[in-house]
Amino acid sequence: MRIPRGVRRVFRLPTTRERLVRELDDEVRFHIETRVERLVARGMPRDDAYTEAMRRFGDVDELRSYCQTIEVTHMQRMELRERIGGLAQDLRYALRQIHKAPAFSAIAALTLALGIGATTSIFSVVSGVLLKPLPFREPDRIVQLLGQDAKGNLQGRYTDPTFDDVAAQSHSFSALAEYQFGVSTIQVGGEAYPLKTASVSRGYFDVFGLTPAAGRFFAPDEQVLNASPAAVISYDFWQRQFGGAKSAIGASLFRGSQRLIIVGVLPPHLEYPAGVDVLTPRETRPKSTSRTAYNWLAVARLAPGVSLPKAQVDLSTILKRLKATYGDYTWTSDGTVVPLRDRIVGPIKPMLLLILAASLVLLLIACANVANLLVARMASREGEIAVRLALGAGRGRLAQQLLAESSILALLGCVGGLAFTLLGVKLLLLLKPASIPRVDDIGIDWRVLTFAVAASAVMALVLGLVAAWRAVRGDLRSALANAQRTKGGGASYRLRGTLVVAQLAMTMVLLAGAAVLGRSFLHLMSVQPGFNTRGVVFATALLPQSTDDSTRTARRGQYLQGALAQLGALPGVTAAGAADGELLNGGSSTGSFLVLDNAAVKIRMDDLERLFQDKTRTGTAEYWLATPGYFKAMGIPVVRGRMLDDRDRAGAPHAAVVSASLAQKQWPGQDPIGKVIEFGNMDGDLTPITIVGVVADVRDRSLSAEPFPAVYASYAQRPGNSSSLTFAIATTAPASTIASARRLLHDLRPDIPVHLQRVEDVVASSVSYQRFLLLLVGVFGLVSLLLAALGVYSVIAYLVAQRTPELGIRVALGARSLDVVRLVVAQGLTLVITGAVVGTAGAVFATRLLKTMVYETSTTDPVGFAVVIALLCVIAVIASWIPARRAAQIDPMDALRAG
Amino acid sequence: MPRDASDLLHGTLDVLVLKTLTWGPMHGYAIAEWIEERGDGELVIVDAALYKALHRLEDAGAIESEWGYSENNRRAKYYALTTRGRAQLRAEAATWRRYATAVGRILGST
Repeated sequence: MRIPRGVRRVFRLPTTRERLVRELDDEVRFHIETRVERLVARGMPRDDAYTEAMRRFGDVDELRSYCQTIEVTHMQRMELRERIGGLAQDLRYALRQIHKAPAFSAIAALTLALGIGATTSIFSVVSGVLLKPLPFREPDRIVQLLGQDAKGNLQGRYTDPTFDDVAAQSHSFSALAEYQFGVSTIQVGGEAYPLKTASVSRGYFDVFGLTPAAGRFFAPDEQVLNASPAAVISYDFWQRQFGGAKSAIGASLFRGSQRLIIVGVLPPHLEYPAGVDVLTPRETRPKSTSRTAYNWLAVARLAPGVSLPKAQVDLSTILKRLKATYGDYTWTSDGTVVPLRDRIVGPIKPMLLLILAASLVLLLIACANVANLLVARMASREGEIAVRLALGAGRGRLAQQLLAESSILALLGCVGGLAFTLLGVKLLLLLKPASIPRVDDIGIDWRVLTFAVAASAVMALVLGLVAAWRAVRGDLRSALANAQRTKGGGASYRLRGTLVVAQLAMTMVLLAGAAVLGRSFLHLMSVQPGFNTRGVVFATALLPQSTDDSTRTARRGQYLQGALAQLGALPGVTAAGAADGELLNGGSSTGSFLVLDNAAVKIRMDDLERLFQDKTRTGTAEYWLATPGYFKAMGIPVVRGRMLDDRDRAGAPHAAVVSASLAQKQWPGQDPIGKVIEFGNMDGDLTPITIVGVVADVRDRSLSAEPFPAVYASYAQRPGNSSSLTFAIATTAPASTIASARRLLHDLRPDIPVHLQRVEDVVASSVSYQRFLLLLVGVFGLVSLLLAALGVYSVIAYLVAQRTPELGIRVALGARSLDVVRLVVAQGLTLVITGAVVGTAGAVFATRLLKTMVYETSTTDPVGFAVVIALLCVIAVIASWIPARRAAQIDPMDALRAG
Repeated sequence: MPRDASDLLHGTLDVLVLKTLTWGPMHGYAIAEWIEERGDGELVIVDAALYKALHRLEDAGAIESEWGYSENNRRAKYYALTTRGRAQLRAEAATWRRYATAVGRILGST
């Protein structure tokens, strides 16, 4: 009988080398003997005939090995085909199983999709912000230079002379540049726009490895003092304003009275700093000789072959040498080099990683939930599994089968999860986390897809292994015997109980984190910042930068007076004032002032540096310019002396009020009224300032930062050269005030762009970082609470089903329904309390990570923990109450019969 | 002078074997004999090469084998053409004819 090789394999018939060799030998022997007989029949002697037959046959050994090779490859092919066939069979079977239990499959896939979606959404943010390389050529070679003061604090900025010395003495960089950026009013085609502008030194474009998309970058004759000003614009601005027309090259922009000629366009999406639209050469303005005028950021490209540590040593050596040379004339004593990307995303990194960790915990909880469902389902399939094992299915094969099932679930979860991710990323971006850099880089790319697939694969593996472990663990005979009577046993309950406890513990960690963040947020929102946080409208005007100092004072004064008079007359407005900075949004600039003996002292600019050496006569404060109405509108009270008022007008002796904390710090135990200071290094006006009053402290930097000492000089006397002016308008009707103020200010000076917002919105966006974190951790906590509640419910419901006969006996013996309910609910509470104990330990450890992100809140806040535990208990009672009610209504007769 | 068929172009022996088997199932010796007779002694086959071809063709599914009994009642392995083998023969025979015609034309063109 001819047996196909496949059949032979199925029945484990010998397909050994011996059989192959034997059959081949038989075949060859037949051939040779037949030939010998033919030859003998033709009259050849038998011996000669045999020799001749052998000769004509050729090399038998070679034939043998040839046939073996064929056989071996054939077998390998067959095995592969069978394995693939087995896999296909497993998948078909798995699909059938999933089809057979649609509710289970839908819930499991949806739960996984939720976990995978949440995690992948967060990962897409992490990927875009933290992982994606910057879009420049060899972005890892671009570094930011930082300084360090004597106390070891990092300084982001350099002074002109320090930068020039570093540029001349370092050997680690192929290009380096200093730059600064800000917002200016740029007029183009008769319209004024507030645009982000940057002043960049020679080498800037080399650092970033850019080539112009149109035109050219700055020519050497444009990079000299007082050269005719040229500008390079961003690709985006080119498209927006000029429709990408070539004629843009050579067109004019106006910054105040200064005319800029466009010479080139940056390549698309390659602007740095982010969102900059107009770049101008730094060299057209004179360099400062001060080694304490920290005005410039510094970037560089590492030279080929130079490592980061080597560059760090190089820079540090130079800065230490400069410190040794210049002593107190510089505040930089050391410095370091950091990758530009780290500098950009560094501040946000801990928060993003924390949220990612929270989302991973959510994924684990989702996985535990599905595992729980799966174990329940495996218990109901115990009979089927036992039969399959009894029929000789290998345990490995069975595991492969279950893995196929969990893979399909995970695949569904992955697809659903990606759909959730599309939605989730949109939602995340809607939250407008203002403090997140590189928001434009967030999206779904190959990294995100890889992550989703990897997460799903891990889920498939974990779930498959749980199911397989559950399935093949048992004793076959008892399983077969039990299969018909009870569904599952005690071991199943223990496993599911453990899973639920793990879920509850992880939920506890998430909720405890949310509680800590929530308490911190409440603390932050209840902070009294020292100014009105309601009923005030800010109108920030971007002032034109004029080069003509002589008329500036007058023109600014005129604008200010006109605007304030009209704003004050608007209906509902109770007070209007102005300052040169916006609260909670950068505030004003900080600098050092000199304490003078009296207002008659005459100071020259050249003396400043020498005078600053006397540390007993200097102080540090924020330098504000304000009008009298500002304090009234913001509700900042005077605590001593008098407020700035109409007496402090141009021409009168310069006056200022100081904040209480400055008075306390600078003149402890003395009366600050009448003290004279010199703050001319901030605005170039060396007129001494007499302190006339003390006002209350204000948290102007952020709600969480302690008030910084401040000096408020009179705007009318020192209009300065600040680029913006913020009107503070106290009003009883903010909405209508915003509308009418916008119209009014535009009519007054159409060339000055104004941005209006309510103080409530300013406060809200100043805590957007905290709100973002709280919201995400809170949502993850609530979703996990829901999943954990489902877990508790399903386990308790299962338990009630298990114990129905026993409960029936109890009822029959006179237990009241309340007793039964108590019994069942106690079971649920036991789970929760175990989970809470484990979870508290985990939370104490995990919430420590929040330390730098909370405000005046202990990371092991006992109240928060207590609330979370109470919440878990309530949820557990509710989740076990439903099955408990069912248990209490058991008819003892039915129950006993069922048993 | 008789030629060893293994000297011929690669694949020639396979076609010859397939063609031979169109006459019905045969064992290896019969195939060798048949080819030698039809080749008028021009083609002499090294037996080992024939068996290699048989096993190769069987692995490729062009022929199948079955143990049976020879005319003198001895156990012998019989090979038979499969459907796939018939198709392969048709394709290869056509190729061969075109090839032989082309070679003949070139040789005859002097």
